[in-house]
Amino acid sequence: MTTGYLFNNFNLYLFLSLFLLCCGILGIVYRRTLIAMLISVELIMNGAGLNFVAINRFLYPDKVNGQVFTLFIMGIAAAETAIALAIVILIFRRYKKIEADTLKEMKD
Amino acid sequence: MIILADVMFVVLILITILGALTTVLSGSLIYALMGLIATMFGIAGLYIYLNAPFIAMMQILIYVGAISILIAFAIMLAGPMFKRPKEWSRPIKFISGAITACVTFILFLNVIMRTEWTTIKAEPIKTTTKELGRALFDRFMLPFELISLLIVVSIIGAIMIALYSRKER
Repeated sequence: MTTGYLFNNFNLYLFLSLFLLCCGILGIVYRRTLIAMLISVELIMNGAGLNFVAINRFLYPDKVNGQVFTLFIMGIAAAETAIALAIVILIFRRYKKIEADTLKEMKD
Repeated sequence: MIILADVMFVVLILITILGALTTVLSGSLIYALMGLIATMFGIAGLYIYLNAPFIAMMQILIYVGAISILIAFAIMLAGPMFKRPKEWSRPIKFISGAITACVTFILFLNVIMRTEWTTIKAEPIKTTTKELGRALFDRFMLPFELISLLIVVSIIGAIMIALYSRKER
């Protein structure tokens, strides 16, 4: 009898990953600096990974495909963070600012 | 009857939610990073509940151990943060972001509620690292190699960006 427990509730995991997605979207729109926007992207990646593993556990418990794809998400997140932070550091060296509002040289 | 596993589960969910809110709403970058680390730890605990202990270990190793440290270095390199204005931008941005987030929430809530999930009630088999490795090197051979290629390219790209910026100065 394992169905009565709270941690076997499938919808809770989906709601949690949806909440993380919404927090990430709010952060990308709301925060000022580029690094904070990158942190919000990490939130979205975490939510996606949680979603993959939850669906793997509850819908296809005899396969491991979701866990493998979560590992791929982690690799992609690491690569994306390395490149994005290198670009942010470059922007800071040239303009001495990392606020997204002030970087409008190409727009003007 | 309250079970200890359920209590721990609720605590993990609270850690995750509070960490995410701290990440989005705090005024300082360091606090946002701390919230992100709390969120990652909470999700690592949830992975253990989801019968994936290897993924939980990888979450702690890669996200908390590598990516957070990388972001912390970037924050430190980007100058003294206490001289900068707070993270909060204009309220119109908060309102637009909140509207976007609410629309997304309602949309995906409808999707979750209307889908007929056929959850399998049976006890899942133990997912060991052996099966994961077998899947990685058997069915997912090509994506695995492509991910390694992607990471190599990104490392080389980051180094090249740093080198060129130094040469310019």
